Amino acid sequence: MLAWLSANLVNIALILVIALVVVLLIRGMIRDKKAGKSSCGGNCASCGVCGGSCSGCRSKPSP
Amino acid sequence: MDKKLRIALAGNPNSGKTTLFNKLTGANQFVGNWPGVTVEKKEGKLLVDKEVTLTDLPGIYSLSPYTLEEVVARNYLVEEKPDAILNIVDGTNLERNLYLTTQLTELGIPTVIAINMMDLVRKKGDSINLKELSKQLGCKIVEISALKGEGVKEAAQAAIEAAKSGKTRPQHNFSGPVDHAIAHIEELALSGIPEEQKRWYAVKLFERDEKATEHLKLSASVKSGVEEAVKACEKELDDDAESIITNERYVYIAQLLKGIYKKKGKGELSTSDKIDKIITNRWLALPIFAVIMWLVYALSMGKSITDGGISIGTWLTDWTNDVLGGAWLTDGSRAILEGWGAAPWLTGLISDGIFAGVGAVLGFVPQMLVLFLMLCILEDCGYMARIAFIMDRIFRRFGLSGKSFIPMLVGTGCGIPGVMASRTIENERDRRMTVMTTTFMPCGAKMPIIGLIAGALFDGSTWVATSAYFIGVAAIVLSGIMLKKTKMFAGDPAPFVMELPAYHVPSIGNVLRGTWERGWSFIKRAGTVIVISSIVIWFLISFGSVNGKFGMVDDLYEDEDLVTDEYIVEVADRMGISEDEVEPMDDSILARVAQPVSVVFKPLGFGDWKPTAATVTGLVAKEEVVANFGIMYNFDARAQQAVDEETGEPLFDEETGEPIMEELDEEGSQIWENVAADFNNISDGHGKLAAYAFMIFNLLCAPCFAAIGAIKREMNSRKWTWFAIGYQCGFAYVVSFIVWQLGRLFVGGASVIGVILALLMLGALCFQLFKPYKEASKLTIQ
Repeated sequence: MLAWLSANLVNIALILVIALVVVLLIRGMIRDKKAGKSSCGGNCASCGVCGGSCSGCRSKPSP
Repeated sequence: MDKKLRIALAGNPNSGKTTLFNKLTGANQFVGNWPGVTVEKKEGKLLVDKEVTLTDLPGIYSLSPYTLEEVVARNYLVEEKPDAILNIVDGTNLERNLYLTTQLTELGIPTVIAINMMDLVRKKGDSINLKELSKQLGCKIVEISALKGEGVKEAAQAAIEAAKSGKTRPQHNFSGPVDHAIAHIEELALSGIPEEQKRWYAVKLFERDEKATEHLKLSASVKSGVEEAVKACEKELDDDAESIITNERYVYIAQLLKGIYKKKGKGELSTSDKIDKIITNRWLALPIFAVIMWLVYALSMGKSITDGGISIGTWLTDWTNDVLGGAWLTDGSRAILEGWGAAPWLTGLISDGIFAGVGAVLGFVPQMLVLFLMLCILEDCGYMARIAFIMDRIFRRFGLSGKSFIPMLVGTGCGIPGVMASRTIENERDRRMTVMTTTFMPCGAKMPIIGLIAGALFDGSTWVATSAYFIGVAAIVLSGIMLKKTKMFAGDPAPFVMELPAYHVPSIGNVLRGTWERGWSFIKRAGTVIVISSIVIWFLISFGSVNGKFGMVDDLYEDEDLVTDEYIVEVADRMGISEDEVEPMDDSILARVAQPVSVVFKPLGFGDWKPTAATVTGLVAKEEVVANFGIMYNFDARAQQAVDEETGEPLFDEETGEPIMEELDEEGSQIWENVAADFNNISDGHGKLAAYAFMIFNLLCAPCFAAIGAIKREMNSRKWTWFAIGYQCGFAYVVSFIVWQLGRLFVGGASVIGVILALLMLGALCFQLFKPYKEASKLTIQ
């Protein structure tokens, strides 16, 4: 078992890093969606239309 | 403890409100040089006093409830009753701006006037006696330059003082009969209303303002009493109530300005007017617009400066695409991972999947930044506002409103705010039509597709990108004309009133902020949705079933028991290619799923599984089209056996006897060469035409899911959303079909049936374009 682990340490570490990155990205995207941000970048403050004041943008905490 | 103060920032569209708001609050709101940038109100804390909240209201010309902006602004002022109003007034258009001021001062809220653009007034040689104006209006007046930040602190301070004092100005009087009627109305209907608001409500009731009447919940007898007073006044002055008030306000303003506002050269043209004589000239406007846009695309996406062109964007993108994305990210990460002893599949996932996909998209960032910089300069100096004006002239001729052009301008950054910008259109038919067509504009995410096709197949020709822009504009205009002739959208266009700002040197801060914000949205997407979808695409390309066995296709193809000669023949038959062209990827999940679908795109010239997969995954995000090519052709490049440069013979490893596979060269350019070669293979040598049809389809078909979501929100109807998506895909298909089928008449290999069908489609389009208009009273899907 230990031999297998040491032989595959790099692979395990890389898989964990990729999994962590994917989980964080998906979590961030879900949060953005819940906050009413679109995947266009969701930078509501820069939005040429609502300027951060539409119902979706207002629901997020102010910086 | 001091009461927390609330100050409202109100003014005409394009008077510099958002710029002043940014200066006063340190906010970073986007400043657009056309009306409608602020549709809803925005709030921020004053920098000079964090206890004071400043609310930026939408730009309005009056407090009548005719537009969404007016309703938002007046509801806030009447119902939320801020402690003071900071009324920003454009000094170069004093008469029209004061029309709103006369209404604001009737609200019974302390008001401070900030006169903006006084530097321009002085530059013209005009003068305004601010002291006398302040005395006449009874309000404190502060001279400011919102753009330069001059006088803004003083204006804020004056507004705070006014809010603390609570003193309202004495309201101006109308003529005898009007004041008489207003006094009657106050007595009759407004006994329960706070003293300071009585005047405003009385004027609104006099104007027969439905919303104010509704709000006051008047009894029938009171309503008839009010109507009686209004009618008596109308009879006496021989005009309708609303016109009487409008006229009286302008008469008051004209008297007010007499002797206060001195114009140096009455009737003389300003510099902006002189420029506009040429720029907005009936005959020159469109050619000038075309030349300017050509220059914008030549600088951002044309031939690189190293290849004899003028494009700085392409020069930088060549480096990021080939060296940074191709050689460093992909090969560099591969070398590091192999050095660490990572499993080959994991190395493939990271290097050929994530880095190749994300790198392919990020490679186009320099081109996009240069393009956005150019567009921001054009917006900020006032040119884009002229384009809306020019387009209105053309749109109106075809029964469309120039208002539809504003969402198009916004949509060049991202389709989502473009779709949302359609809210400024009051006419529901025009609004729905604009929502349906705005995403035809090439947004930032579509730029890499244009860059890829222009770079890989057209040697970086500027015409490809420029034509893509004008294809988007033409698609909107033609769709507008055709849709307006259906019962669903028939009707007069909404009036489009727009103030053309004076030309000025673009503000560096505003231009850089606009460029960065648009570019950053693109980079952020590459770092989120593209990373995840690249992993999915890599999985779908790497895994598959070979002769009934599932696994990594590259590994399975090394098993000679599985990959027999008969099996290769079977794969070649299935994919419609020769046996020599069969590669492991042809057995991948993605190839197996996309190949049957690709039949749909055969009549458009790109009926192969790779462009099909790229087009379909483009629905996730349009950048995905290029990310997909990056991953697929990165595999492709590696799947090629290296050859001896002198003899051209395939190379084999001396020790193992296994074939030596191609390494990406330092510039990684064979990925893009392979894209070109593949387009040529699938189109009988007409790769350029097929790639152009592919680009057109991807520009015009349904946008990404996020934009479809925005369409659904704005349409507020599932049926209308599907109708919009159906129309976009159908229109894209028809245009691409015509381009590919008729294009082959010129390049060779035309199919008789294809040409006949294309001519029939073209005929149907022309029929719809030139048939007479129909009128309809109901908005329904047929």
